[in-house]
Amino acid sequence: MKDDGVPDGDELARLIGQVATERDRQAYARLYSYFAPRLNAFLRRSGLPPNTAEEIAQEVMLSVWRKASYFDPARAGAATWIFTIARNLRIDHLRRLRTASAGEEEPVEVETAPSGETLLLTAEREARVREALKTLSDEQATVLRLSFFSEKAHSEIARELGLPLGTVKSRVRLALGRLRVLLEGHT
Amino acid sequence: MTIRHHASDESLLRYAAGQLPAGPARVLAVHLATCPCCRERLAAFEAVGGALLEATAPAPMAPDAFAAALRAIDREEAARAPATPAPTHLEARARPRAPVTLPGGIPLPAPLQDCEIGPWRWIGLGVRASTVRLPEDPEARLTLLRVGPGRKLPEHGHVGTEFTQVISGSFSDGFGRYGPGDLSEMDQEIEHQPIVDREGDCYCLAALEGSMRLNGFFGRLVQPFVRL
Ligand SMILES: [Zn+2]
Ligand SMILES: [Zn+2]
Repeated sequence: MKDDGVPDGDELARLIGQVATERDRQAYARLYSYFAPRLNAFLRRSGLPPNTAEEIAQEVMLSVWRKASYFDPARAGAATWIFTIARNLRIDHLRRLRTASAGEEEPVEVETAPSGETLLLTAEREARVREALKTLSDEQATVLRLSFFSEKAHSEIARELGLPLGTVKSRVRLALGRLRVLLEGHT
Repeated sequence: MTIRHHASDESLLRYAAGQLPAGPARVLAVHLATCPCCRERLAAFEAVGGALLEATAPAPMAPDAFAAALRAIDREEAARAPATPAPTHLEARARPRAPVTLPGGIPLPAPLQDCEIGPWRWIGLGVRASTVRLPEDPEARLTLLRVGPGRKLPEHGHVGTEFTQVISGSFSDGFGRYGPGDLSEMDQEIEHQPIVDREGDCYCLAALEGSMRLNGFFGRLVQPFVRL
């Protein structure tokens, strides 16, 4: 299984589709080689010890196999869908640490009715989010990452960076403002 | 239902990242269930997560990890009865019991249906409260409040952010009028004085983010319940 180039979003979505409909293990292998190491690194960055990060990355990839038929490209791109699985499994893990008895409860998910139109908009949203992220200043990118990788509220992030809360908030606002155009397009 | 007050960017971002504590996250889930506008913003913030995931420099898995994944899959496939159709998303979340309602027949929002709703207690000033326990986090601090018509709560500040989602009825404070579906997020630096409109009881779901050192009016109000 050689990594022949980095697959793009459409390719990844197609691979998930093949896993869903044909239980295609070659497609799964490509998904695995692309996502598992990234999940591993991503989960470490969000504060999990290396062993745990790898275990959960593995869990996420098993969920991808199990839940491939739930993947709906009208709702999210492939990486976004897999990110939300990782996010939910990480939350489950942290809760299990605190409450030994927690069950297999799925986190609350919101239903939306997809249509042909939302499919297009979703692809557009994913592309525009990526474009927007590229244009962030280092400072904006830092506070945005901290929002993702730390459970601290912005007031605590401000204290740690030695910045006034207003400054952190305005950096986040500027970072999100880059997404604003696309957000406003839908409301 | 016209929703006028929405989740802040910070909260939606933290919800998307999975970094919001369980209590506030449930309040947001209740808001999201009826607010397509915030769902759309959430989808964009989740796409940020997807983009960050793809941009992360890979950290190699153990050499035998993929083989182990295939073995796990083999075991599962063998255990599964042949050709069981995958349940649809809704069936998969079928509820084990009849939907819970609040006093007055007001339906409990769907995202709270798996929670344990404690008994209603009179806590003074026209306020009744009930503790909501989350199956996934018994320590989460989440409270249903029922405030009588025309009741004026004392002006108060907040230790952490206070998330209040209106379920039915309405109240006003210096920041506006909050009706069903509206979410109020009150920062620590903000003081306000909610006044319930005269038409009827106001039911809200409230969660505080922050440590156990609650103070201020809301803190005193909620403290006896969150410690149950
Ligand atoms: Zn909203
Ligand atoms: Zn308050």
